[in-house]
Formats: sequence, structure tokens, C-alpha cells
Amino acid sequence: MKKLILTAVIFFTAQLFAETLPKGLKWETNNSDSVYASPNAKKGGTFRLYMKSFPMTLRTVGPDSNGSFRGFILDNYMGLTEIHPNSKKIIPSLATHWSYAKNNTTVYYKLDPSAKWSDGKPITADDYLFTLDFMRSKHIVAPWYNNNYTKEYDKIIKYDDYTIAIVGSKKRTPYELQLANGMTPFPKHAIKLDKNFVKNYNWKIIPNSGPYLISKVKKGKSVTFKRNKNWWAKDLRYVKNRYNVDKILVKVIRDDNVAFEHFRKGSIDIYGLTIPKDWHDKSKVKEVEKGYIQKLWFYTDSPLPTYGIWLNTDKPIFKDINVRKAFAHAMNIEKVNKTILRGDYERLHTSYTGNGKFTNTKLRAREFDLKKVDKYMKLAGWDKRGPDGIRLKKGQRMSIELLTGYSHHRDRITVVKEEAKKAGIELVLKEMDGATAFKSTLEKQHTAVWQGWSTSIIPGFWQGYHSDNAHKPQTNNISNTDNKKIDSLIMKYRNTFNWNTKQSLSRDILRAIYDEAVMIPTFKIDYYRVGFWRYMKFPKVPGTKLSRSTFEAFGERPWGTGGLFWIDKDIKKETLTAKKAGKSFKPVTLIDKSLRAKN
Amino acid sequence: MQLSPLALKQIKRFKSIKRGYYSFIAICVLVALTLIAELLINSRALFVSYEGNWYFPTYGSVISGKTFGLNYDYETNYRDLQEVLKKEGKGTVIMPLVPYNPLENDFREGIYPPSAPSSKEKHYLGTDSTGRDVVARLFYGFRIAIFFSLLLLVCNYTIGVSVGSAMGFLGGRFDMIMQRIIEIWSNIPFLYVVIIVASIITPNIFTLMGIMLFFGWMAMTWQMRTTTYKERSREYVMAAKSLGASRRRIIFNHILPNSIFIIVSFIPFSISGGIVALTSLDYLGFGLPAPTPSWGELLRQGTNNLEAGWIVSSVVVFMIIILVMVTFIGEAVREAFDPKKHTTYE
Repeated sequence: MKKLILTAVIFFTAQLFAETLPKGLKWETNNSDSVYASPNAKKGGTFRLYMKSFPMTLRTVGPDSNGSFRGFILDNYMGLTEIHPNSKKIIPSLATHWSYAKNNTTVYYKLDPSAKWSDGKPITADDYLFTLDFMRSKHIVAPWYNNNYTKEYDKIIKYDDYTIAIVGSKKRTPYELQLANGMTPFPKHAIKLDKNFVKNYNWKIIPNSGPYLISKVKKGKSVTFKRNKNWWAKDLRYVKNRYNVDKILVKVIRDDNVAFEHFRKGSIDIYGLTIPKDWHDKSKVKEVEKGYIQKLWFYTDSPLPTYGIWLNTDKPIFKDINVRKAFAHAMNIEKVNKTILRGDYERLHTSYTGNGKFTNTKLRAREFDLKKVDKYMKLAGWDKRGPDGIRLKKGQRMSIELLTGYSHHRDRITVVKEEAKKAGIELVLKEMDGATAFKSTLEKQHTAVWQGWSTSIIPGFWQGYHSDNAHKPQTNNISNTDNKKIDSLIMKYRNTFNWNTKQSLSRDILRAIYDEAVMIPTFKIDYYRVGFWRYMKFPKVPGTKLSRSTFEAFGERPWGTGGLFWIDKDIKKETLTAKKAGKSFKPVTLIDKSLRAKN
Repeated sequence: MQLSPLALKQIKRFKSIKRGYYSFIAICVLVALTLIAELLINSRALFVSYEGNWYFPTYGSVISGKTFGLNYDYETNYRDLQEVLKKEGKGTVIMPLVPYNPLENDFREGIYPPSAPSSKEKHYLGTDSTGRDVVARLFYGFRIAIFFSLLLLVCNYTIGVSVGSAMGFLGGRFDMIMQRIIEIWSNIPFLYVVIIVASIITPNIFTLMGIMLFFGWMAMTWQMRTTTYKERSREYVMAAKSLGASRRRIIFNHILPNSIFIIVSFIPFSISGGIVALTSLDYLGFGLPAPTPSWGELLRQGTNNLEAGWIVSSVVVFMIIILVMVTFIGEAVREAFDPKKHTTYE
């Protein structure tokens, strides 16, 4: 009896303190976007690919975990929601429904009650609460994560086992909230968080929520993933007919040329051919000519990394906007594209290309034009030339140091350098190791830097172009842009929660940055190219707008791009027999532009 | 200058070793040619006559295209000018043997570099992966490599010989301490230091020389130490000492001339060593900054573009020829200066 009363008391107190869901929430979901996997997909087979080094640990946080292999593990943990790789809208994943609070910081989620960890235990609200503690814990020895999860998340509220709210610490638009607040839970029951965590979990395989789980680790040699046949999500609308192969074998091959020989032999199934030389020359082998290996060139429509030359406006020579404009007109990127890149790359016109309506498609990069160089140089007083053909002003030669950490772009830069001589500009190449070059730019020691910056689905301008970050080291404003108009636009952009206004402000900011002439966009590559054995099959449209390859085994989350392909056993048998007999097929090169962005 | 009978004998002996002697002449001629490389391999014309005026553009300042009635301000493209003037009959242009400089990219419509050797285009050994002429890059690369290693040799030997002789002559505590210092010093891994330095600063020819000198001077010390040790106890040194000659005078005026054969016979090998060191650093990407012409960089391009066999084969063949010739000279010198042939022991 006593026990019963006690239980009742506990029950009621718990009810008293338990949070209640606010009334009037409008729940959203998305079951109407197109399905992009193929209904013809067949299950089975082993997909073989390579990585260049063996991971130092199987942990995804803590020391030594920041390697490329971490992606393979994390891609097998699902998030609350994902992004449809073609419509780019939010689609359900671990959460079936979501709802936004009016305060622009909170998202409510209804969790899928059928969601299970790979060991069969249900995924509940407690796992999310645990994950927040886990990521903030000192025991994982990951200061960046500690800081990030403390800074970005305010708290997680549990209403019941299958309803939660995630409260972010910054105001954002709904879409950004999904990206920022959306969380990938880890299994509470399988992780013991104490001071030995880092040591104990080096090689431990933790249950996950995704399609594949590591089944075999040969240290230094390979890692095998096995498909979870009872995976809870396998029949979800956007997941069905994806993740078809039974096993994924990732071998360690330290050299790309060696890997290519493996590929020719058929011991790995695909090989990336995006680089012009690989696509045109390297792949001229008999396996391709005989049709055992086919080639695919697929255009995407995704935010593109920004390759460019950034000018440091704090250096005296680039203080003058006319010099910056003249310099831009003296960079013969078109020639590089046309000659050593074989016309395969295009000229990039602005940063944040491929971001839909955030992109200002009206901007056109300043083209190589010696007349315009003369015009702007004259305005800046650099119209005389010395005996070596380089421009002079008050005894100073126009010799500009161009820093780069991209030794693989050396060919391109030397062409630009030779062409710049025609404009009377001497470029002095300063080549450094990648990390050192990057550090040196963050410290604003460069005059001009040849670089590439990764992108995000929603542009951020404050770090790169706001005067708050100019004239001081360790910020991303590497051009030291300090312009009142740009500042006010950026602040408006940051403080608006209206999607359309935000997009139009983004276009205005890009235009204003263009007018300042602090950055010269260089290359645009809006496609991937890949060689694959002919038994590798894929949907009619071989990828999605956000795909990085048709043969993404898992696909980076939150973009649902992975596992679209399958292996056709009959064709594999046919191919291998034909290869043995020396019989050939028709060579195939597929070029697909159906999803390419129009601009 | 009167050469001593011994020196004459040594030279005669050197001349009699044919392959060494001819290699020596060949290398000298090559080095001499590199000094006038601009007249042999260059994109600037040797001579232009245009509307009655004569121009010798090779060594002067840049002549803008407008001078010759072309529509641009930058440096005249003399190859095109040659074509134009031929057609219009307004003048003549005489181009060097290979009308390309080692830095310019020669792109042609529809052909992607590297392009194969062609005497019609005057790319006698083809072009590299950015369309630069391989002959030009080889030859200018050779000029840099040979003068680099000669300068390095002088610096290395100056320090190495002085320190080595001092160790041998003074002996005792100084010798002991220097020996330990050199032992420790020579255990610093050369390549790592170069890699670290190259990742922080972009090395130029002088920093590279500095680094190599930093690790290279030790080699000569051991040789000089033992020789000086030996010579020190000879009677002529005693005689000089008893006449009151200073230490410096004894070392540089008496001992050094008598141990010169050691130095001379090491020179050719040091030269080839210097060339190989610079080439391998360039090959690894820690050498001279792009786009300086260099063998190592060509070799790297060649191995990355094995399908363009002319790049790797030209540089490998040229390098083997040079290094073999240098080794022949070394052999001959060693033979000619062999003390057993000339010295009479009391």
C-alpha cells in the first residue's frame, strides 16, 4: 500500500513538473515531393571503393577523429529531418512532423515511434537529451563540439518519449532553424560517458540509425559495412529502393594511380574522373574502349565552392579601387579554362553560385581586357611602363605577390602570371603548404591570395565582408572589406526572418561586393564525372541536384543523396565472362544535363 | 704565370685520359653556352629591321608591340612579327635557334599541352603540361643548376677547408670539440629541415643555398683534418715554424697547396652532388619557386604525365649525360692528381 502511494505521489509530481506542449501548433510534414530512387533497383552484391588512408579511430568525436572516414560513419546516423535533394525542401526522417514557434528559435518535433537503433532498441527523446549532454561533455575531448553545442543550442525539451522541442540560441528563419537545430542523436544505452571514453571507444562499433553498420575491420587494410536488413526506415517514402548493395567494402589504397589500376582490373567498381586530364587522357584505356567501363558526366544544381583571388585592401597597392578593377581585368582566367583545362571548367561569376534565389545571376566576372586595364590603371596613376614592361608609379614597380596553398593549381597560376605581364603586372608566386597559406591569409599577411572557400546552402556574409571583421587577424574577412553600404546590407540580411527579403538582400550584397572589386571569381565546376563498371546501375536520372557522385554509398546528411545505385548480378557475370573471352561491348559515355541550373 | 713542373705533369696526365678530358671540354663549352643562352633559346628576336631601323631586342628593355605597328602595348611577340613582316615585306626578323623562352606558354587552337616534339613548331623536344618548350626549360634549368652547384661548392669548400685545416693543425681540445659538434650537426635530418622551411617561406635560390650550405660544409672537414694532421708533422712545416711563420701563413701558404689534390679530386663529385640535390628538392616540390625552370620540376611533370614520354625521357637523358660526364672528369682528375704517381717520399 505504502509503495502504491509513493508511486502515485511520484507520478503526480512528475506530471506537475513535466513540460506541456503549447497549444495551437501547426504541424508540418512533407509526403508530396517526388521520389528519386528507381523502382527497378535490385538488392544484393558488394560495392568496392577505396580510401587513401586507414582511419585512426572509429570514434566520431575526440582526438584523431577528424578524418575523411568519419563521414562514412556519421552518414549512417540519421537526423531529425533531411533535405530533399531535388526540391531542397525539408522532408521527414527520424521526425515525422515538425512545427515552428513564433519566437524564431524553437522547433517542435514529433518523433517516428517506429524508429529503432540497429540493435533493435527504440530511438526516443532521451537519446536527444543525451546527445546534447554528450556533445557538451568534457570527456569527449572535443573543444570545438563542446563550444558549438553550447553556443548554438539553448536546450532540448522533452514532452513525452516521442515529442521534443529544440531551442536554439539564435533567431533564424525556419529553414535555417532546421539546418542549425536539427540534431543527429546517438544511442544513450550504448555509450558510457566517463573519463575513459576516448580510450574505450577507439574501435568500438556503436549501434546506429542508418542503413549500414560496420561489420568487419581489417586494421590498416579495409573496412566492411553491412546492410541492416531489418532497417526501420527501409520503406519510408524517400528511402525506398535506395541503399541496395548488401556490403560496402572500403579498401585502403594510398595512391590514386595505383587505385586506377585496381579499377581497371575490376577490383574496385568506380573511379572519379572530374579532373579534365583524367576524363580525357587517363581514361583512354582498353577497358573503356571495350565497353567494360562506362563514363558518366552529370551536371548538378548545388551550391558551388567559391574559387577566386582575394585582394587585401589593407595593402597600400590595393587601397585604390581602380587598381583592384584593373587587376581583375588583367587575370586571364578565360585562357586557363580554354587551354589547360580544355574548356571543361567555366568562369565563375560570383561567390555563392548555385544557391538558387540567393545567387545574383546578373553579375558577370570582370573579363580579361587590356583596354580596361589601361583605363583603370591610368585613373590610378599607373600608366607608365618600365624597361621590363612592368608598370611604374613614382619609382615603384607593380609587382604583386600572389599567395597560394594550392600546389596542384600551379599550372593554372603560371598561365595567369604570364598573361598578366601583358597588362604590365608582375605576379610573384608565393607557394606554401595548404595549412600555412590559409593561416597566413587569416592573419591578413597576403597581398593577393588564390584560394577556394567551401559554401553553405544559405550564404553567410558577416564573417567574410563585414567591417567588424576587417583589419584584424583570425577572421574570415580576408579582403579587409570595410564599406558602410555593405555593412548595413549585411545587418539587414542577418536580422530579417522573411525568406524572400533575405534572398533579395543576398543578391544586393553580392552586387555591392562586386562593385568593391575585392574578389576575382575564377572557376565553376557544376558537375561530377565518374567512371564505373557497366554492371553498376542507377536511376534514369543518374543523380540528384545535390549529389556529389552517383555512387555515394551513404550520402552526406542532411542531403538525402546516398545509395541510389545498385549492382546487377547478371550483367556483372556477363561482363566478367566477356572480359575473359576478350569480347567487347559498345563503349558508353553518358552526359546528363537534365538537372543543371539555368544561368 | 709559370706553372710548376709538377702541375704541368698533372695536366699532361689529365689530358691523356681521353674520356675525362673530352668530357671536361664538353662541359666547359656547355657552361659557356649557357652564358649566352638568351641568344640561342629565346622568344626575343636576335635582330629586327623595321622601316629602316635596326633593333637588337635580346638584352635590352621590352619593346612594345606598337613600335612595330602592332596593336598592343605589351612586349612584341617576335614569332608573330616575323610572320607579319614576311607577309608585308616591311622588314626582317631573325629568331634564335629555339624561338621560345622558358616561361611562356605556347597554346595552339585545338591542341592541349603537353604536345609532342615537332621541328615544324620548333618545339624540338615537345612542350610540357602548360605548353612551355622543353628544350628551353632544360637548358635554362641546367644554367641554374650548374651555377647553383658551383657557388655552393665554393661556399662549402671555403668553410669546410678552413675548419678542417684548423682542426688538423691545432689538434687538441679544439679538434675534439669540433669533432663532436660536427657529429651532432650531421645528424640533423636535412630533408625535414628543408620541408619545414619550404612550408613556412617560399625558398629562393639563396635560402636554398643557405640551407644546403648549413648541412653541406661538414663533408670536407674530415678530409682536410686528416690531411693537415699528416702534413703538419712534415719537415717543411717544421722549417716554416722555426722561421717564425704565423699559423695562418703555415696553413694557407704551406699546408694547403700541398693538400690541394684532395680538394681538386673532390670537386667534380661535389658538383654532381649539388645538381642532384637541387633537382631532387625541385622534384619533391621543396625547391625553387614556380615558374623557375628546373630539372626536378620537369622530372615531376614527366612522371605525372607518363603518356607524354618526351618530357621524362629528355630530362632523364640530359641529366644522365651531364652527370656521367662530370663523373668522368672526376675520375680523370683523381687519376691525374694521384700523389703516388708524383710524390717521392724521403
